[in-house]
Amino acid sequence: MFPGIDGFEWTPGHLIFLGIFYTVVAVVFLTLALAAVRAWRSYRANRAEAIRWQADFHDLPARDRACRHALTGEMRERVCELGFDCRRCETHARLLEERPPAQAPAADTEAGGVRLPLDRLYHRGHTWVRPEKDGTVTVGLDELASRLMGTPDRVRLPKAGRRISVNGTGWRMWKHGSDVRVLSPVDGEVAATGGPEAGWYLKVKPAEGRLDARHLLRPDEAAPWMRRELERVQWTLGHSLADGGVMVQNLSEAVPAEAWDAVCAGVFLQV
Amino acid sequence: MDRALISRGVRRCSPRQFLLWLVPWAALAAFGAYSAGLCLVRGLNQTNMDNRFAFGLWIFLDLTVIALGAGAFFTGFLLYILKRHELKAVINSAVVIGFVCYSGAVVVLMVDVGQPLRAWFTFWHPNVHSMLTEVTFCITCYLTVLAIEYLPILLKNRKIRQVPSFLVFEFELHKVMYVLAGVGTFLSFFHQGSLGGLYGVLRGRPFAFREGFAIWPSTFFLFILSAAAAGPAFILLTTWLVSKISRKRLVKLEVMAELGRISGVLLIVYVLAKAVDTLVWINETAPATGFAAHQFYAWRPFGTWILFAEIVVFGLAPALVLLDEKKRQRTGWLVGAAVLVCSGIGLNRFVLTIQTLALPTLPFDAFLSYTPSWQEVGTFLAVIAYGVLVYSLSFRYLPLFPQERELAEVPRVSGD
Repeated sequence: MFPGIDGFEWTPGHLIFLGIFYTVVAVVFLTLALAAVRAWRSYRANRAEAIRWQADFHDLPARDRACRHALTGEMRERVCELGFDCRRCETHARLLEERPPAQAPAADTEAGGVRLPLDRLYHRGHTWVRPEKDGTVTVGLDELASRLMGTPDRVRLPKAGRRISVNGTGWRMWKHGSDVRVLSPVDGEVAATGGPEAGWYLKVKPAEGRLDARHLLRPDEAAPWMRRELERVQWTLGHSLADGGVMVQNLSEAVPAEAWDAVCAGVFLQV
Repeated sequence: MDRALISRGVRRCSPRQFLLWLVPWAALAAFGAYSAGLCLVRGLNQTNMDNRFAFGLWIFLDLTVIALGAGAFFTGFLLYILKRHELKAVINSAVVIGFVCYSGAVVVLMVDVGQPLRAWFTFWHPNVHSMLTEVTFCITCYLTVLAIEYLPILLKNRKIRQVPSFLVFEFELHKVMYVLAGVGTFLSFFHQGSLGGLYGVLRGRPFAFREGFAIWPSTFFLFILSAAAAGPAFILLTTWLVSKISRKRLVKLEVMAELGRISGVLLIVYVLAKAVDTLVWINETAPATGFAAHQFYAWRPFGTWILFAEIVVFGLAPALVLLDEKKRQRTGWLVGAAVLVCSGIGLNRFVLTIQTLALPTLPFDAFLSYTPSWQEVGTFLAVIAYGVLVYSLSFRYLPLFPQERELAEVPRVSGD
């Protein structure tokens, strides 16, 4: 067949057939190599965390990606395409300009039995952020996530000095044999770590010295979002109460074992 | 026990139940491996094929599974090239089915050639004028493409994707998937066609011989069309079957209906083309070779009923069902039609493989009959078992149906 073999002669048939065949083989392997090179570059550039969230967010069901402005009723049926990073969203900026945030409620709000203290902002991954006087921010789990996790079996917090970024891994927890990756609500450097018994998990020095909170929910926005979240938990459990009901205190023990993973996946936006 | 490997948000049966499901299939695969081993060690005398009846159960199996596996390339083409995003709901399952079908077919071919250690000869000494050479090259390339397409699905396993390098590679691989989908479409187009062309160029077999366009007989185009029509129907059927066995909703009805519509449109085009081809064959091609077409159907059990069944029962009837929008909204109609389409593709490949070889072509020829040996049947069953095992493991540990999580959360309101 090939040159070097007795009796071989190139014919147009050989040229056409082998030309096409080897072009196809080259395209397949170059494509694979291209993906490998790009992956290597992304890995070296520490983009794994951002890619993880991008991939996870892309795979979330559409109703878990509802836009914050759809949850508050400002818009109808809008799905977020930017990984809940409203800092990059033109629509969010425009809406804020058109309708500045209403005055904060006079007292802590509440949704379906979940308290939403006024002194903090909320992230869609069920963490809260509280700005402190010293310029740092404190990060903790909101009441739904706290009741769901109860006392975690194990917690792995980042070391002080470690940089974390919005929607990257904030910390990890284990409960009932499942691991949960809690999304970081802020960009910055970890200054101190707490834990479930402290009521907070991280103290963070915000990146560039100030907290950019455009992607975080204000308490007045958090209430309709939390009602929706409670509804989602009930759907995952396979039933829902017509009046919404009130969430039980010890949710971690109330969730059936077979639904545990699904409930955690829904609440913490995991795939 | 294996919960950490199962995708979040979906529920699977207990490991014990899963193991009980796997055991009979594993036993069948082991029996088939023994059968194939006998053929490889002792030779093809273990089969009931001979020089006259050189294509049997295995080639029928190869042609059928390759046609049914066409859903992988066609769904990929529709999703990545034509941007039919609704098919994202079944693309992973389609790739696994394609991979299983093609790898199973290649394994059987390795047994069938009798000398698998010399398989590389075809790449070093190819006869570039042979349809089979083109089939060999394309299937090898396409199986490589399918393996690469299967890789990101594998890397999406919950445990594997915790490794950052794998996660990043999966992400980047996914971004170039449209290139692989394009290459897959090109390769599939040609090897599906060449498998049909292989029969169409058999001048010594007037039952199969067809005229055509340039170097391609009409069977080249009919095979492409029929495979493209059967692929989506097989995905529809397997999705329904897996949904029933696992007792879970996996995709929305509109996705099933869309698969049915695509299959229906392609099937009606195929039926029309096949009808025209048959008329040309009856009136021109067959008489030109010295036969009246009815003579081919004088040998029982291959009567004219088989032609009627192929075109009307398994072609026109399901095509009309799938083209009816109201019927597409009923799972029963959809699944029933898909069963007919998939059976039809099997019948078509059976007719071209077995009936072609069984019919006498010379005055002193006899009508041949062939019954596969148990070793052939064992190898055949092993491919089925292998497919079920790979698909079952993939379904349990990989995210094959992205809509499953959402569908598992459908609210059921209770007022009390």
